Amino acid sequence: MTTRGGAPAVAELDLEIPEGAIVMLIGPSGCGKTTTLKMMNRLIEPTGGRIVLDGDDVTDVNADQLRRRIGYVIQQVGLFPHLTIAENIAVVPKMLGWDRNRVSAWVDELLHLVGMEPKEFRARYPRQLSGGQQQRVGVARGLAADPPVMLMDEPFGAIDPITRERLQDEFLVVQQQIAKTICFVTHDLTEAVKLGDRIAIFGHGGSLEQYDTPDEVLTHPANDFVAEFVGSGAAVRRLSLLSLSRLELDEVVVSTGDVPTNGHAVLGVDDARRPTSWQHMPGLTEPPPLVTVPLSGTVYDAVDLMLDSHTPLVAVVDDESQPRGALRWDALIGDLRTKGRLR
Amino acid sequence: MTSVTTAPAGVTAAPGRPGGWLWRNRDLTIQPVIVLVGLALVFAYMSTQRLDSVEQRILDPAGLLARLREHLLLTGYSTVVVIALAVPLGIALSRSAAGGFRTGVLAFGGFMQALPPFGVIILLAFWLGAGTFGATVALVLASFLPVLTNTVVGLRQVDPTLIEAARGMGMSAWRTLLRVELPLAVPVMVAGIRVALVLNVGTATFGVYVGAGGLGVAIDSALKLGRVEVAFAASAIVAALALLIDWLAGVSQRLVSGRTE
Repeated sequence: MTTRGGAPAVAELDLEIPEGAIVMLIGPSGCGKTTTLKMMNRLIEPTGGRIVLDGDDVTDVNADQLRRRIGYVIQQVGLFPHLTIAENIAVVPKMLGWDRNRVSAWVDELLHLVGMEPKEFRARYPRQLSGGQQQRVGVARGLAADPPVMLMDEPFGAIDPITRERLQDEFLVVQQQIAKTICFVTHDLTEAVKLGDRIAIFGHGGSLEQYDTPDEVLTHPANDFVAEFVGSGAAVRRLSLLSLSRLELDEVVVSTGDVPTNGHAVLGVDDARRPTSWQHMPGLTEPPPLVTVPLSGTVYDAVDLMLDSHTPLVAVVDDESQPRGALRWDALIGDLRTKGRLR
Repeated sequence: MTSVTTAPAGVTAAPGRPGGWLWRNRDLTIQPVIVLVGLALVFAYMSTQRLDSVEQRILDPAGLLARLREHLLLTGYSTVVVIALAVPLGIALSRSAAGGFRTGVLAFGGFMQALPPFGVIILLAFWLGAGTFGATVALVLASFLPVLTNTVVGLRQVDPTLIEAARGMGMSAWRTLLRVELPLAVPVMVAGIRVALVLNVGTATFGVYVGAGGLGVAIDSALKLGRVEVAFAASAIVAALALLIDWLAGVSQRLVSGRTE
């Protein structure tokens, strides 16, 4: 709890963050989400209450020592302009007294992890990098001490939408490898839904309105505030949470030559059973163009492809390009109406 | 932090060639060329004049060298003292805790700066006695403000998000100052020191009136004895010295700012 000019920015908050999870803190401006984050590493000292990290109260330990154990990534990145990329990443390991060889090997590993070629970038200065590249380095620097906990304050907020989406995807891949406990402040609900294992929605004055999984927040908003915050796009946002592998897909008949017409959609395949084209479509004289979507994708991806290629159905294929079924536009509308079936 | 390179990765430029550091800073050669040409012209003119014994004594090379040495020592002492006092004070004033105190001290600094050095040097001689010490104190007062202001300004203009990043990753306040704030403020601070240095070279000429020697001695004797040409030559030497020291400071300023541009 902390006070800023009389009224506390965060008055009362009880939040438990499970190990290895990404928790998204989201809410309107001035709701205290950043204050909450900064209290966790004591950049802002709480005026009361307890913040417990791994069993220890953070206010009991030296603040500088504490922060070296907590990765910190901010929107403005804050790379030191007078240090090279490698030196920027090496700041905390050097403070922790690692020897030079270990530091330089680790810096290279981190650069690889965030998708940057060490040979090319190690010796560059921050000003020679694009915004997206700088934030990759920012993430690498946050990970430099291999901290169990990462605090991220709108790290992708100032980056153009296309790069932001790519960084988010990469971030999820990296998190699968490193499994850190991450506290992530954002004002972008799409980002919160995409990245979060859990979402904490803050109201004005730092009140916690709802703390739950993205799916639950979108389908069962706890109160009017959350419902309004989640807004009218909730149904569409949910599509991106729904993996195709969780759906019951329509069966397709696979054919290598002749066209049997028994009322099913018929998918033409080559010798390796990879789809080549639709050969027959019930009710249509001309079969639509073949569009495939990977089984690992989401319903959102499938809908996106349907709209994009003006086709009423997509073929779903697995990692080996084998057909696993089809998703029809009208089935999709039916499925979404019956929430229960999907869960 | 171990190695410092000014050239971007993959760009290796030979010195003096287009793209090299010397080539990019070729404008720095203009000032010493002008100074040397000017000095040569003064010497050429003086060698056409027939000097009497008085004039010869004033322009005696050995004597002039001794005066030059006094002059440089006076400048050096005062500049070192200014740096030793104004930089730590500037650092202290740049902390956010200094708040309103900062404005007060800078206003007082402005007041000190407004005092004419010629008057101060003589007043201080009454108080501290004639000699190098009093003259040094006067020079310190005259050149204190540029170093102080630039230290404060240089540190205050460091992007606050860099300081937040540094603290957030576990640097202590002291370490943040040494590793982040000061390196980024150095170009502005060096600019202030350059101004102080040039002020001191000029003001040290008044050292003659309080028995602190310096090149002012030659100018003063020539004026008292009505030897206008000699006074002109001695003044030209002081001017050349100031310009050369300014040039050296400019070169070092370019060297330190090249890293953070």
